[in-house]
Amino acid sequence: MDGEAQNESVACEKATLAPVDRLRSNRAESPTPGLVEGTEPGAVQKSAFFAHAQSFEDLTAEAEEKAEQEGVVEDSGQTEDELQVLVGERTITEQHAQDVSPQSRSKEEDMSSEAWRSHRKHVFVLSEAGKPIYTRYGSEEALSSTMGVMMALVSFVESDKNTIRSIHADGCKVIFLAKSPLVLVGVSQTYQSDKELLRELQYIYYQIVSLLTLTQLNHIFQNKQNYDLRRLLAGSEYLTDNLLHRLDRDPGLLLSAVTCLPLSNSVRDVVSSSLQAAKAKNLVFSILLAGDRLVTLVRKKDQFLHHIDLHLVMNLVGSSSSFREGEGWTPICLPKFNTAGFFHAHISYLESASDLCLILVSTDREDFFNMSDCKQRFLERLTKRTAYQALKEALKCPSYSVEQVGIPELRHFLYKSKSSGLYTSPEFPELYQSDEEQERLMGLYQDLHSHLHHPVRPLRFFYRCTNKENLLAWVTNGFQLYLCFSPLGTKAMAVSAVNKLLKWIRKEEDRLFILSPLTY
Amino acid sequence: MSTIRVDAKVVMLGKESVGKTSLVERYVHHRFLVGPYQNTIGAAFVAKPIQLGEKVVTLGIWDTAGSERYEAMSRIYYRGARAAIVCYDLTDSSSFQRARFWVKELQNCEEVIEQVLYVLYHILKWETLKVGFFLSSVNNGPRLHTILFVALQQCKIYLCGTKNDLITADRSLRQIDYHDAQDFAEEIGAQYFETSSKTGNNVDELFHKVAEDYNNAAFQFMSEESGVDLGQKKDSYFYSCCHNN
Ligand SMILES: Nc1nc2c(ncn2[C@@H]2O[C@H](COP(=O)(O)OP(=O)(O)OP(=O)(O)O)[C@@H](O)[C@H]2O)c(=O)[nH]1
Ligand SMILES: [Mg+2]
Repeated sequence: MDGEAQNESVACEKATLAPVDRLRSNRAESPTPGLVEGTEPGAVQKSAFFAHAQSFEDLTAEAEEKAEQEGVVEDSGQTEDELQVLVGERTITEQHAQDVSPQSRSKEEDMSSEAWRSHRKHVFVLSEAGKPIYTRYGSEEALSSTMGVMMALVSFVESDKNTIRSIHADGCKVIFLAKSPLVLVGVSQTYQSDKELLRELQYIYYQIVSLLTLTQLNHIFQNKQNYDLRRLLAGSEYLTDNLLHRLDRDPGLLLSAVTCLPLSNSVRDVVSSSLQAAKAKNLVFSILLAGDRLVTLVRKKDQFLHHIDLHLVMNLVGSSSSFREGEGWTPICLPKFNTAGFFHAHISYLESASDLCLILVSTDREDFFNMSDCKQRFLERLTKRTAYQALKEALKCPSYSVEQVGIPELRHFLYKSKSSGLYTSPEFPELYQSDEEQERLMGLYQDLHSHLHHPVRPLRFFYRCTNKENLLAWVTNGFQLYLCFSPLGTKAMAVSAVNKLLKWIRKEEDRLFILSPLTY
Repeated sequence: MSTIRVDAKVVMLGKESVGKTSLVERYVHHRFLVGPYQNTIGAAFVAKPIQLGEKVVTLGIWDTAGSERYEAMSRIYYRGARAAIVCYDLTDSSSFQRARFWVKELQNCEEVIEQVLYVLYHILKWETLKVGFFLSSVNNGPRLHTILFVALQQCKIYLCGTKNDLITADRSLRQIDYHDAQDFAEEIGAQYFETSSKTGNNVDELFHKVAEDYNNAAFQFMSEESGVDLGQKKDSYFYSCCHNN
């Protein structure tokens, strides 16, 4: 790795240390960003709407504890041969490639082909009995022999009282996540750490649970070990496909945060209070989205939404145009809230051609007409007010350019306020307009992220120069910050840019963040 | 104006991708969306007013998802429905099997209601239950009222073979014989339609028939003097079971 990485957190914190004070007046006046959770720019004033804003740690903690107890197995000699089948040194059983069923989805691909093997990241889901459930590329049928090998690997190591976690070979990583009754496998040719890959597998696991509930999954496999789960998941593959795409592209999934539609404080307040007024007995969450951006969220008192659950909801809504026709009513399990049961979501767009999508989450499956009524009341209230026009205006520029910040050498950044679980980021600049460049930049951020969250040696501060850009990452108790500079700048410039940026975010915070979330 | 008043609940049932959403889309928005198939998630509801002479009848249409994943939910959609449009794809025989499954489900659901009603009839010792009577004077709590109300409103079944345009283009694609479908419809007392959402063929006719049937039934319902004699149903499962102990 080029560039340098040092633990400079102490020096940096001293340089900008702000008084620890949660008082509202202080917070508004002080231009110096707080380094303590709750005082950083974008911090919430009351309680946040997300369950655990600790984010990343929370997500992988479970898997890690397990691994620590049981030890990690890597590259055992006996598995080498089988592994090659996975990573594609040899041709993958050709006879199987031929019986790809014709009605399988459009992502049909010859599994023996070079193209299939060269995908950057494969994801497979299988049952504990080794039945294929999902593959990112190609069809599951054609993969059954490969899945068999994976199962052999999993059970081989499990029998040893160890859980296989990853295999590294030849620029390729194979990561396993056993989440009974499912086994998830990632095969990656990216530079992501095991932990990052594991986190992504975890997301896929939650995606499946959100469709079926864990209770139902367990029930099915207890009754019939070799049940073909694809029957129940039929037609949902694209949700998983899209989630994987988002994991590569969406900073929110990387940061365990969501971003807001920039909107003046007063307008957002009107929208929020209109939503708050449209309550009902079994209504738990009201979420208003503008595309992938949060406009506002109102929740039942003492009930928190986890950002993962919100991402799953966003993925559901964003992946399907089916909610554009009439009002949708669907069971949805929010696995971070409760893996056992379904909520019921009323999903509809405020206007037919609008990006504004309202999601009302109820506990009662008979609640459709109550929810429909809530939406109607919300809409009636909102349309009477001028704020609605302002909101529609704001939709026209859902983002901002990095030039507005006024730091010439800064190209792009991600800033997450820890206490609110919200992040902000400008649109991609000219240089990063193409898909490849955006994915490359996201890859760089992912890399920074994994250094800051290294399981053994986490860094607080990380500066890295490449010939295309200079990167800086900084994590404090209050925020996470990732910046991308032109390669001509210096480290000193970068550090001073951070202060400038934080001041700018502080100045803009009521537009970029939701500072006072509401409850019913 | 707040929520729209719905006169008749209509539920679309059938295997995934047979074209339920397309039917609703064609009927409600007069269009056929090309592009990749988007399966319905859960269900979608849309209210559509329809002019019948002087009168306007509003259909509340539930477009359900065909995926097996949502099967357990489907009961809440067809409960209390006045019409069920059971769809299958004319070019896919497996979808016809699935249509048979839905018809059975609907019939079972009705049987249960009949049985409940029959038991109630015996417990409460009502000699003859007149429609007018119970509408005005039943105050044994809302649940009983709902049960009775639902029971007296039969769910009519409409069998619908979809994607007719494909057959018109190439006859060999047809997998379900017209007469077989017609016979099945007769057997279950259903109306039979073959439609195309792509061309719009027969789609308006289908929904128009649904609204008309509802309207006629509602008319009878209000004007019928004789009432409904519940004592007539003597061959039901519950009858024998109640009289054996
Ligand atoms: N040629 C032709 N294609 C049709 C017709 N109706 C539907 N389709 C196609 O069939 C596919 C499925 O249609 P949908 O209406 O989404 O099916 P659905 O029954 O709602 O499916 P689920 O929501 O998954 O239950 C789409 O690709 C449509 O374009 C038709 O009348 N003619
Ligand atoms: Mg549909």
